Amino acid sequence: MLTENEKKELQAALKKYPNRRSAVMDALRIVQNGRGGHIVKEDMLEIASILEMQPAEVNAAATFYTMYNVNKPVGKHHIQVCRNISCSLMGAEHIIKHLERTLDIKTGQTTPDKKFTLSTVECLGSCATAPMMQINDDYYENLTDQKVDEILKNLK
Amino acid sequence: MNGRTKGFNLLELIKKVVFTDFVKGLSITLGYNVSRSITQRYPDEEKWIPYRRWRGLHYLNRDAEGRELCVACELCSKACPTQCITVVPMEDDSGRGIADRVAKVWKVDLVRCLYCGYCEDACPTRAVRLGREYETACTDLASTVRRREELLVPQALAENIEGGVLVKSRLVRTPEGIKVEPDLRRHKKRSL
Amino acid sequence: MVTVKINGKEITVEDGTLILNAARDAGFEVPTFCYQADLIGIGSCRMCLVEIEGQKKLQPSCVTPVLHGMSINTESPTVVSARAGVLEFLLANHALDCPVCDKGGECELQDMVYRYGPHKGRHAEPKFKFHEKDYVLSPVIIKNSNRCVQCVKCVRVCREVVGANVLTSLNRGDHQEETSFLRSFLDCDQDGNCIEVCPVGCFMRLPYRYKTRPWDLKGADTVCPYCATGCRMVIEHRDGVVIRARAQLGVGLNSETLCARGRFGFDFINNPNRLTTPLVRKRGALEPASWEEAMGLIKKNFSVGGGKVGGIASPRLVNEELYLFQKLFRTVFNSPNIDSSSRWDPLAVESFVSAASMHEGGVSIFDCMASDTLLIIGSHLSDENPVTDYIVRRISANRRMNVIIASPRAMKLDSSATQLLRHLPGAEDSVLEAIILNLNYDKLPDETLKPVKDARLEALLSTAGALDKEIKAIARKLGASSTVAVIAGTDFLRAPQSIPALGLLKDLLRSRGKKVTVLPALDRCNQRGAWEMGVHPGFGPGYSRVDKKGLGCDGILAAAEQGELDALYIAGSDVASMYPDGEFAAKALSAVKFLVVQDIFLTETAKLAHVVLPGASFAEKEGIFTNQEGRAQIIRKLLPPPGKAKRDFDIIRAVGESFDPSFGPKNPVLVLDEIRKEAPMYGDVSLVFNNKKNIEDKLDNRAALVKGAQSAALKVSRIEPRADLGGAEQFPFRLVTGNHLFHSGMLSRMSSSMTGLLNAAVIEISEGDADALGLRNGDKVSVRGAACEAQMTLRTRKGSGKGMAFVAENFEDAPVARFFRRGKGAPRVAITKI
Repeated sequence: MLTENEKKELQAALKKYPNRRSAVMDALRIVQNGRGGHIVKEDMLEIASILEMQPAEVNAAATFYTMYNVNKPVGKHHIQVCRNISCSLMGAEHIIKHLERTLDIKTGQTTPDKKFTLSTVECLGSCATAPMMQINDDYYENLTDQKVDEILKNLK
Repeated sequence: MNGRTKGFNLLELIKKVVFTDFVKGLSITLGYNVSRSITQRYPDEEKWIPYRRWRGLHYLNRDAEGRELCVACELCSKACPTQCITVVPMEDDSGRGIADRVAKVWKVDLVRCLYCGYCEDACPTRAVRLGREYETACTDLASTVRRREELLVPQALAENIEGGVLVKSRLVRTPEGIKVEPDLRRHKKRSL
Repeated sequence: MVTVKINGKEITVEDGTLILNAARDAGFEVPTFCYQADLIGIGSCRMCLVEIEGQKKLQPSCVTPVLHGMSINTESPTVVSARAGVLEFLLANHALDCPVCDKGGECELQDMVYRYGPHKGRHAEPKFKFHEKDYVLSPVIIKNSNRCVQCVKCVRVCREVVGANVLTSLNRGDHQEETSFLRSFLDCDQDGNCIEVCPVGCFMRLPYRYKTRPWDLKGADTVCPYCATGCRMVIEHRDGVVIRARAQLGVGLNSETLCARGRFGFDFINNPNRLTTPLVRKRGALEPASWEEAMGLIKKNFSVGGGKVGGIASPRLVNEELYLFQKLFRTVFNSPNIDSSSRWDPLAVESFVSAASMHEGGVSIFDCMASDTLLIIGSHLSDENPVTDYIVRRISANRRMNVIIASPRAMKLDSSATQLLRHLPGAEDSVLEAIILNLNYDKLPDETLKPVKDARLEALLSTAGALDKEIKAIARKLGASSTVAVIAGTDFLRAPQSIPALGLLKDLLRSRGKKVTVLPALDRCNQRGAWEMGVHPGFGPGYSRVDKKGLGCDGILAAAEQGELDALYIAGSDVASMYPDGEFAAKALSAVKFLVVQDIFLTETAKLAHVVLPGASFAEKEGIFTNQEGRAQIIRKLLPPPGKAKRDFDIIRAVGESFDPSFGPKNPVLVLDEIRKEAPMYGDVSLVFNNKKNIEDKLDNRAALVKGAQSAALKVSRIEPRADLGGAEQFPFRLVTGNHLFHSGMLSRMSSSMTGLLNAAVIEISEGDADALGLRNGDKVSVRGAACEAQMTLRTRKGSGKGMAFVAENFEDAPVARFFRRGKGAPRVAITKI
């Protein structure tokens, strides 16, 4: 169930759009922020009924964008490593391997202490500083193994 | 007249007197008398084990875990030039087959079958094979149709046994009738 | 018009034609997956790439319109290698489990790879798998996403044609999966159009699963036996068991679409409870008998001339049989007492035929969709005639037209309406009269208008439960259009007092120079055919005048109840279940001195019969169905009738011959000749067997439309509304009935697929009413009327009118007919939670 605050926020978002269904991305963002980073089935059903859409359409919007995590709880720090061409050329695969080793999880998994979730994403638009990753809302660029270790240490 | 010269040919006469032709013919006969016999004493003493390339009675294979390889795709029945194979698929995900699609009915009408082996070629899972069983003679038409249950029983001749040999055999009486029982350990090489 | 060069061949086509269509017109094949003419182009599959001179990159021909002077190459080496490349990519993650896949053998991907493909993949990477096992999406749909080619046709057909919008694309890129909300069970129309459009084995029929290969099937082109939309389809059997019905792209007015009933409801044919032998009542019980014995009894008990006999034929029979049936009664038995519907008053039928101008000939739905304004009234189109609903939705979305829907219940099609009117049930007359009052009615002579003028708008609005501004808006739209189409449904026949208003509106609009077409939306496959063959007490074949008017179903039953009826012959109709007063019907039928029932199942009516004759289903005979538009279409025989059952044609003829040896014609072809003579409407109807793509006139086979009747003996009668059963305080809900999306008539009750979708009776009320009662969707409720009570499951519908409960007429466990009382209006019920 959406909280009063979230409903209020959603009502404000609705004003920005010519029709209700256009606000689906805002709605998903609001819900995800309020739910510790992921969206569950009930949220999508509720958004669908508020926006007068089919639940399937909300589901489609939510799964299309990697920024939304559907039915997939994420840790406190969500590490998203770009794996597109520029980053790959600059060694993204290596960075991913390194992260998997240090965190002892596979891509797409969360550490048992629920601190880190590792996932790969498409281009984050920072090709000039490849390889790069995003942890929660922050970019970390020009990565090397040492740099990654340092970042992780600071987060812990 | 420039015909044959009339007269007396001494050589011919001598040949006739000592029965040359008779001896020639008799030598062949006698030769066979002492040579190895080519008659197979089938079925009560010997049985011919065909080569591996032989195309005889069909059998259905299982994989190493005992699951049926047949997925009832019906390609064998489609490829069959005499339309002697009938396949009816069904769903069964209990692990009977390698997929959840298995054959409810798989039967071959041996009277129509011409043992061309197209079914083998068409089979995507190598489930149907033509084996080396050839004793399919029977007295009623109904038993010429062989069903899945019978065909899934492995044939007496395993695939790894080399063929092209004659083995000792004997006739045995079974509830289903008289059968030829080969003794695969005692065989002799034989070329035709 | 523009002229383009395709592969060096010049062709002139309309402006805006897609390159794909231009190329196909020119005779070149362009492969596609995602293109379908009815759907909005998305150009996603890239199979149709072509080379355009002067453009460096290949262009998707299914979304690129031609421009004048374009030079296009569809066969160049670049195009050929691009196609092979696309296919190689499509196969990169394709499961390639063709031996197991149900689509194998008729798969577009197989054909395409065979024809254009690389035959060899270079991808060594492990394939991406969405899931290991196929998952069930609904009782009739099973899904395997690993085979998907991402053409998105399923999602598009669900959204644009069906309007259910329950399928979607989850995720993106190669992980894109077309499925339901979180892959959950679908709660939708279950029509399986997603299956039909799927080029691969991604969406599959669950009842058809692993039963056969397409090449084992033998099919027959036929027409759906449920509603009167008249969808062409092919039914296919293997070893005598019908296992699939499918629609074909570009064939019939429905093209590839069917509804749940049409696509999955055919399996009543295979029902083991089919009648296979004649039954004769001996010592109180029905026992198997020979045909000779049954016929002997009929000959003994049907008196020719003297006594009073009646006949009721089902609108499920084909025209030839119906014609012979009325001929049997009119000439052999000398009795005008025949009817084709157990539910409707013959006077109402006559008025409806006249008001809907059915005697003026066939009306194509596509003509209706080409009009400026479409008014849908008296029909819950989305449930009763689902494919008509698809056509309305699809066409109205692509052109500027008014779609006005006036209905008490909310329906799926509401989203396509430009104007919606929720009125009270049974108040179509008030709605129409209020509209008429708002139109300029000066041009009609006074007598016609008198009753209307008198009616005060205020009163009308309150009986209709509509707002003045809604009615005004509708009147404005009608007034501003030069062509108007009205789809008038069976609610007019249920509340016949509304029929004159329909006729009046039509005449008024016509008098103002507008082109008005009325399309009757009927719920039995050959209802229109039954009327046009003259199976009606008031008119003969081709709506001709009859000398002696007879009794309709209602009159026959009344006579029977009085013990006046000597014999009654019911062919295919389940009067006992369908007549709106079940108790009365059962009593009347038991009082008939000699009752013959000819059916394919032992129905409630058949159980009361003295002689039961086993007839044939639509798959077991040939003949003509006339759909609601007046399109005469042939059905073909697929199987022989089961056991000793016979074609209904042969049974009716045999009955006739036992009285009059010259009774005939002797075969359906000769009957058709006679029909053409007797009913000139059918005179030059073309019955050319159109199991082919109808390229000339697209889906609209106009030659099949019947012509106008030369002399129609019809009049619109004013039928007084029946007094309601009353008791509004005790019973707050007014009961309305009709067909359910999954059930129409009693046939669908015999289909295991359809009963699998919905078996027990449901009652539908509006969401607001349910909230007020504290009830929720899915609750078990007790429905209590004045005389009977039944248990049902509650369904709520958003947007339906208040104070109204809907129960479909097709549930034998809760027969809605029991709630009705003969001669009374709509009953009222109370709903309480169990």
